[in-house]
Amino acid sequence: MSTRAVARLGEVVLGAVVFVAALATWEAWAHSAASFYFPPVSEVGREAVDVWPSADFLSAVGASLKRLAAGYAIGAAAGVAIGLAMGSSHRVRRTLGPTTEFLRALPVIAVVPIAIVLLDDGDVMRIAVIGFGVFFPVLVATVAGVRGVAPEIRDTAALLHLGTAGRTARVYLPAALPTIFAGLRTALPIGLVLVVISEFTGTGNGLGVYIWTQQFVFNAHGMYAGILFLGLLGFVLNGLFVGLERRVLAWHYEAIGESLR
Amino acid sequence: MSPSADTAVLRVKRLAKRYSSDGPPALVDVTFDVAEGELLAIVGPSGCGKSTLLRLMCGLLQPSEGVVLLDGEPVTRPSGKVAVVFQDYSRSLFPWLNVLRNVAFPLGRDGLSRTQRAARAGAVLEEVGLEGVGAKYPWQLSGGMQQRVAIARALASRPEVVFLDEPFASVDALTRGELQDVLLDVHAHLENRRVTIVHVTHDIDEAVYLADRVLVLTPSPGTVAASVEVGLPRPRIQTATRSALPFLDVRNELHDVIAQARR
Repeated sequence: MSTRAVARLGEVVLGAVVFVAALATWEAWAHSAASFYFPPVSEVGREAVDVWPSADFLSAVGASLKRLAAGYAIGAAAGVAIGLAMGSSHRVRRTLGPTTEFLRALPVIAVVPIAIVLLDDGDVMRIAVIGFGVFFPVLVATVAGVRGVAPEIRDTAALLHLGTAGRTARVYLPAALPTIFAGLRTALPIGLVLVVISEFTGTGNGLGVYIWTQQFVFNAHGMYAGILFLGLLGFVLNGLFVGLERRVLAWHYEAIGESLR
Repeated sequence: MSPSADTAVLRVKRLAKRYSSDGPPALVDVTFDVAEGELLAIVGPSGCGKSTLLRLMCGLLQPSEGVVLLDGEPVTRPSGKVAVVFQDYSRSLFPWLNVLRNVAFPLGRDGLSRTQRAARAGAVLEEVGLEGVGAKYPWQLSGGMQQRVAIARALASRPEVVFLDEPFASVDALTRGELQDVLLDVHAHLENRRVTIVHVTHDIDEAVYLADRVLVLTPSPGTVAASVEVGLPRPRIQTATRSALPFLDVRNELHDVIAQARR
């Protein structure tokens, strides 16, 4: 084995050791505290093994994932579309800039009460909140990506007189894609946070509703099992996203001589 | 021969460019013609407005005064009749497309089928000596090969005029010589049809080696200091042409003209 491979293996082992140590600390601390609200991880794990495969829990996960997918898709599509327009036109940027800057400065969670009042407590409200939160990081990344397109690429696009739509779709979008993906990746955990927050109203079905309800009925084990699942979900989604990014942007990472880690 | 009005494909008339209304002009009163099929080199010191002139000629910039005529029509924006090769090939080729798609990219608007576009792009790649690299990506090629791809892309849409903006300034000396010969080859043999080439450079020897005629610009604000006929026989050969006395005569004449323009 090369020294680099040994070093890499060492990093993986160290990462695993820290993770196991964190679980062990939780376990030991919970035993010493012996609090009803703070069960040891081993008990939470047993609860998770029972709860996760149950039909109720899976349908809650399904409902949350559908909302996340819908909200993320809408927010990301709007962020890329408006970002492309703002990035490639001074006029659009000046027109929309102050409004988007103001809305971006709002803590996203603060829009939840407004959304409930305007849209009622339900799927539409939740999807809107997720879309709103996902929109801004994608917008900012897209604007930055388009504005950072090399002048030679801009000139080449101008010389080919592709028209605004052709130039945007065939040159600016792919040229800005590495930066856009950074925004999409940032937006993913934000989307996950907002699914849960918007479901803390406790109505209907969903992971957030499940966690909220378990807390409400004093089932600490069930609540932790739900939270543990959320962590796992975020981890898996991020992994899937990195895999997608590695495929779509293979040209970029090879061109700059860097692999995505 | 300076082109007469009826053989000129490109006419530049009393061109001036100011980037701001109160700032100093980048170019003043630039007038010259380029004949069909001519290979014109434009030389001048750094900052004399060579690149500004090129951008005005291809329609990327609008003049403050004067006009550029292409086939008798004023150039108000870029058209399919012109193509440009930039100095920085690594930033002008599209890294997300392979070489064949890069070269075929400008053909999208010509109403050709996908197969026709690929065939045309493949043929142009052969013209610049790049058979068999179509499936590679630009960043997998050497700098010299990337610039050949940029030349092929410029030629693919069969423009009337190809502008080159210091195209060989970022490659090593040996590669530069190779690329100069690729350009001469393309100019002489492209599909039995003569393409007009306007080549902006700060390398006087390169200008003499390549061009039919060399236009000298003065330091800023740029204007035409002289138009020097090269008159060396073609085909040109790196060793023989560059060591011949007439080459040295033209080269020395240009150095004199530039030195005088500086004063």
